Amino acid sequence: MKYFILLTLLFFSNSGFSQKVLYKDVILHVGNGMRIDNALVGCDNDRFIMVKNALTSSYKAKNWDTIISLEGKHMYPAFVASNTTLGLTEIDAVRATRDFDDVGEFNPHVRTQIAFNTESRVSETVRTNGVLLTQATPRGGRVSGTSSVMRLFAWNWEDATVLKDDGIHLNWPNSIQGGGWWAEPKPKERNKNYSKEIVKLEQFFQLAFAYDVNTSKFDQRLQAMKGCFTGLKRLYIHANELQQIHDIIDFVNVFKFPFPVIVGGYDAHLVGKKLKDSKIPVMLDRIHGLPQIEDEATDLPYRIPAILNQQGIQFCLQGSGDMEAMNSRNLPFLAGTAMAYGLDEEAAVASISLAPCEIIGIAKDYGSVEKGKKASFFVSEGNALDMMTNKVTLICLDGVLQSTSNFQLELYERYKAKYEKQ
Amino acid sequence: MYNQILFDSIFLFIFEANMKKKLTLILLLLSTQVLSQYRPQNGVSKSQPQSILIINAKIYKGGKAILESGSILIENDKVVSVGRTIKASEHTLVFDMEGRTILPSFIELNSSVGIAPQILKKGKKYTPQTNSLKQNSFYWNQAVHPELNASDVYNPDTKVLRKLNNLGIGYCLTRSDDGLIQGTAALVATHGNDLSKDILEAKAAAFYSFSKGSSMQSYPSSQMGSIALLRQSFYDLNYYSNSSPDFTDLSMEAWEQQSSLPRFFISKDKLEILRAVKIAKEFDSEFIYVGSGNEYEALEALSESNVKVVLPINFPKAYDVSDPYISRLIPLSDLKHWELAPFNFKKLLDRGIRVSITTAGLKDAKHLWSSIRTLLSTGVSKFDVLQALTSEPASILGKKDQIGMLKSGMLASFTVYDLDPFENEKAKINEIWIHGAQQHLNTFNGIELAGAYDINIDGFRRKVTLSGNTNKPLCKAYELDKEFKPIDSTKCKCDFQINGNDINVKLIDKRNSSAYILKGKISGNGSIIEGDATLPDGSWKKWSALKVAEKDVDKPKISSDTVYVGKCWFPNMAFGSDSLSKASKFLFRNATVWTNEADGILEATDVLVENGKIIKIGKIEKNKIADVQIIDATGKHLTSGIIDEHSHIAISKGVNEGGQAISAEVSIGDVVNSEDINIYRQLSGGVTCAQLLHGSANPIGGQSALVKLKWGASPEEMLINGAPGFIKFALGENVKQSNWGAFNTVRFPQTRMGVEQVFYDGFHRARIYKDEWSAFEKKTNTKKVKAPRFDLELETLAEILDSKRFITCHSYVQSEINMLMHVADSMGFKVNTFTHILEGYKVADKMKAHGVGGSTFSDWWAYKYEVNDAIPYNAALMSSQGVTVAINSDDAEMGRRLNQEAAKSVKYGGLSQEEAWKLVTLNPAKLLHLDDEMGSIKVGKDADLVLWTDNPLSILAKVQKTMIEGHLYYDADQNDVLADRNRMERARIIQKMALDNTSGNPMRQYQHSKERFFHCDSHGEEGETKTNLH
Repeated sequence: MKYFILLTLLFFSNSGFSQKVLYKDVILHVGNGMRIDNALVGCDNDRFIMVKNALTSSYKAKNWDTIISLEGKHMYPAFVASNTTLGLTEIDAVRATRDFDDVGEFNPHVRTQIAFNTESRVSETVRTNGVLLTQATPRGGRVSGTSSVMRLFAWNWEDATVLKDDGIHLNWPNSIQGGGWWAEPKPKERNKNYSKEIVKLEQFFQLAFAYDVNTSKFDQRLQAMKGCFTGLKRLYIHANELQQIHDIIDFVNVFKFPFPVIVGGYDAHLVGKKLKDSKIPVMLDRIHGLPQIEDEATDLPYRIPAILNQQGIQFCLQGSGDMEAMNSRNLPFLAGTAMAYGLDEEAAVASISLAPCEIIGIAKDYGSVEKGKKASFFVSEGNALDMMTNKVTLICLDGVLQSTSNFQLELYERYKAKYEKQ
Repeated sequence: MYNQILFDSIFLFIFEANMKKKLTLILLLLSTQVLSQYRPQNGVSKSQPQSILIINAKIYKGGKAILESGSILIENDKVVSVGRTIKASEHTLVFDMEGRTILPSFIELNSSVGIAPQILKKGKKYTPQTNSLKQNSFYWNQAVHPELNASDVYNPDTKVLRKLNNLGIGYCLTRSDDGLIQGTAALVATHGNDLSKDILEAKAAAFYSFSKGSSMQSYPSSQMGSIALLRQSFYDLNYYSNSSPDFTDLSMEAWEQQSSLPRFFISKDKLEILRAVKIAKEFDSEFIYVGSGNEYEALEALSESNVKVVLPINFPKAYDVSDPYISRLIPLSDLKHWELAPFNFKKLLDRGIRVSITTAGLKDAKHLWSSIRTLLSTGVSKFDVLQALTSEPASILGKKDQIGMLKSGMLASFTVYDLDPFENEKAKINEIWIHGAQQHLNTFNGIELAGAYDINIDGFRRKVTLSGNTNKPLCKAYELDKEFKPIDSTKCKCDFQINGNDINVKLIDKRNSSAYILKGKISGNGSIIEGDATLPDGSWKKWSALKVAEKDVDKPKISSDTVYVGKCWFPNMAFGSDSLSKASKFLFRNATVWTNEADGILEATDVLVENGKIIKIGKIEKNKIADVQIIDATGKHLTSGIIDEHSHIAISKGVNEGGQAISAEVSIGDVVNSEDINIYRQLSGGVTCAQLLHGSANPIGGQSALVKLKWGASPEEMLINGAPGFIKFALGENVKQSNWGAFNTVRFPQTRMGVEQVFYDGFHRARIYKDEWSAFEKKTNTKKVKAPRFDLELETLAEILDSKRFITCHSYVQSEINMLMHVADSMGFKVNTFTHILEGYKVADKMKAHGVGGSTFSDWWAYKYEVNDAIPYNAALMSSQGVTVAINSDDAEMGRRLNQEAAKSVKYGGLSQEEAWKLVTLNPAKLLHLDDEMGSIKVGKDADLVLWTDNPLSILAKVQKTMIEGHLYYDADQNDVLADRNRMERARIIQKMALDNTSGNPMRQYQHSKERFFHCDSHGEEGETKTNLH
């Protein structure tokens, strides 16, 4: 309770002057696979300036403007929702609110950054579970567009931007099609146009490769693609199937993209060493999913993170799929399930903090509670990967404390108060 | 060698044909019978031979009787006698069929030959068609048309008939394969020369199915809708016949006349047969089922129902398994069915089920006989097969005195083969006799030409090989070296035609583009061909060909290991069990027991299970209990099974009957699918019981099925005995069709205002209906009065008014929630449960006052406009006001993580762990009125138990064992064993397929040809066209 009052003071004194704050008596989940059961975490303005084990280090109280005891609570680095339409959509069924899928097959020039809604009510309910950064990702077509990494607390898309135009998103053609729906699943079939579709997309990449910004006839699409070849942008290739992943490895070898990423990767564990050797990381699709083949083990999706970890494949967890914007708030529990099914707890934390930051390319500033990085973290009453104990009581983004409330909590309190009066 | 010899004089010749047999060739006297002319004829009257004798043939008489060398005497269209030797009168036309085999003609029961597809009037392309577009006074639904008679429109194409003849089919039961009540079928002979004689019985049977066919009317859009419509039609028939209402319905009048006809039901799956059996029982009727080929998977239930089945024998082809990335996707169920399908016939037969065979799906005689040989290889006798093609169908049709056997007095319809087709792969059909009239099918002389020939055309020599189909052989010519050895087949081209004993050959020498054109006659049993040739220079020369090798040109077959065949599992798919589950006595020792009762959570406690019930809780001395399986639960948590109040798994062909605003007559209970893998998956998440709900496409949806997830049991066994009736209602965006696109703006209601009125209208009609019936029931004792119409829809609504059926209502915003409670209060019924109820927290006090419970999502929102104010604190707030609250899935995936969803209520709103756990166990049991049997661990309740590795609300919790009524349906350890077994079974069958692939057998690519039971606009069966909007 004591610390809550202090926090409240801090919260309202946020703006303007620089402050040095030390957090102590905290179980720190660093984000890089380490854990410090009794940590000292010091921030100066927007950066961590000290992260130490209290058992082996001491501090001088006079060096700090404020010292807060977190009374044995858990501190985590900001969780990162990669590959999501959060902020680009409000209500799935209302077309007017959907800003993530434009007309056209090759749309690399379409950028999510400027469509990002910083006042999204959905985002409000996501950040209060510890997810503070998001990769706003376009959908549709063969090349969907360009994503950007955004903060979930901001005034406008400019100050929300962590990394502008971080990558191009390519939907690899499906090698199989069909499948019915959840209430009436149907077998899948071979996609007869698979080879043709690959040829078509390769042609587009060849055009883009050959495009010269100075001499070629201006083409917005091809210009947007250039970063994929130079390393300014990642190339996110969305694919799940075994056949696709093998073909993607070949594709990457041909074009030598500096930063290719596989998004989805359901079958990645079947590729194993070849994928590891290719050094292509995987953003693993929502593991709260059904097995994609009737015969597969019922818990296979839950176990894939542990398998990938064992195989040495770099991966992070993400939650794309049905109702993905709203479901971003359940990202911590995807990591929790991965933990229950064989992934070490701190590796599970890393899979939604440092791992996505490394894959996206923002690990210099984000992803872990380490000296020199941006002071972006949250505190939870208990284990944040478990729904019973994920109770976020403090949020700090880039050194700024933020509200832990949202409109849903306010509605709850309003109606609770109404009944209490009755 | 067989020759038909015709004489035109009246002399009688007798001569010795060989040493052993005395052949009598009898000359024929053409009788001149004068018939009165029913139909005027053009030209002089013609005569047919009156008496025909076939001799020296191997005759399958039907039953198990064979005459190795017998005779058939035919007079007019009938068999006079069949025997070893028959004396014929001098005016008999005699056919010597030495070496030939005769079978009774096959009877095809599943045919649409000669029936053109119905062309119905169609409405606007995308706009739903709510009413029938038929002009006359026919039944209100276009899928019900008993008035269609196949005989009225029968108009066969002779070519198609000949194709049937080639299969050996002499009779077809043909009808228009369209609609639920299809009309009558005609029994026709497949001759085609004189339709007046071909039609044996104009109305021989009536046909039914679950597929609505060409009707574009919106209703029904699901299989449960089809079932309800079928049932309502039967009730309407009774009403029309017994109560003589003051209107005319031509469909019903036609249907009334069909009561004595055999009824056939077309099924597409064994579960459909079980569904139709229920209908048959309800109306004290009987169907003959046209099967789909997987009936062996429901052997138990089918043999109990005492059904007759017509089985297809177009067994599935092996998949092309050359791409392992593709073949890994093939479900094990498909693989197993490929292996077991040929055993279907035998398994049913062995169970004493009466089976016929349909040749439907078999494209030619080769395909038919290879299927028959496959059948024979499963160990059935040829007589069983023959009966299933002849006497059994005849008997089903009540025609066993006329067709199906070769017996005195029966119609002379049979087929003649050059060899016994049951014994010899090379046997070919030569002719078919229908009603005593002969029809040649194969002008070919019966000589096997396949082989290699040396051709000599005046010194120009080539070697030619013939292979494949005898009528259209593949021909290849080789150039020869100096020793006349074949060396090259590329320089020569060869074209070959055969016509009776004549052959025409074109030999092209490619080097100088010269052609040798040959014409010749076959002699010496095919070993010599001689004739005239025209050479490139135009000269005529003699040529000859000598057979030098009787080469079997078929590629040698690699025989796969057919000795071992897998067992049928329950269900016959991945994770199915090898045997039907048996209940045992179990003792859980030393568990942390979440009782959900006043005792709360008990540490280190034992629970004893016997006869499917919990019989003791506490410290139990194991020595005192005999034959008990002990489960060490130390460090583990034992809870009652999770109950999912809102689930859509395990449902066949449509969760929505959205064709009408009220579809209270349909029931999910009719279409439970016991073979959904999600049953097993949910068991692995601790779910033991679920309410399978109708969708939310209309204000009053359909009745629910309350099931236990008994993996491997039949749909009937899954249904909970004595469970109360439930029905789905729905409000808001879905029933207004808000998110269905611009074309779906026709069906009332389109606003929340209209929704209210649908309810008032429905319940007012139900009240009037109730009154009519009670008035009728009062009067029946005194005088004879006409019964009102029995209406399945209003019956169901009346049950709600009588508190015999409970409502689970899909709902979102507070206004509509409030509205339905007002409708209920004023019409005198109660809403049992609001499901979803995302704004329930705003009206929790009103809900408490009405006495309605809430079954909600833990945290879903933002998927449509009406869930804008949804909050994850909903469950906690409603609970705080005394509302019985459950958390449900509505989602096959989330259904197996309901423990996690319950845990969210600890986070959002701070429920205690015990209260949170009840959200997915005891509370849904209460909402479903099942809490006397389920929902807690209490002595006397059902042993529906789950053993967890951890606190079940913890993210770490995994299911160790799931038990339903004392049966272990899921066991984490056993799961690994099953996974291994799946893998080995898959590997074994893939091996078998790979061998089959390389042995030249036809194969298919792995792909799913989408079956379209209903038109594409429908959102029922073809649900994948619509996004799930909960």
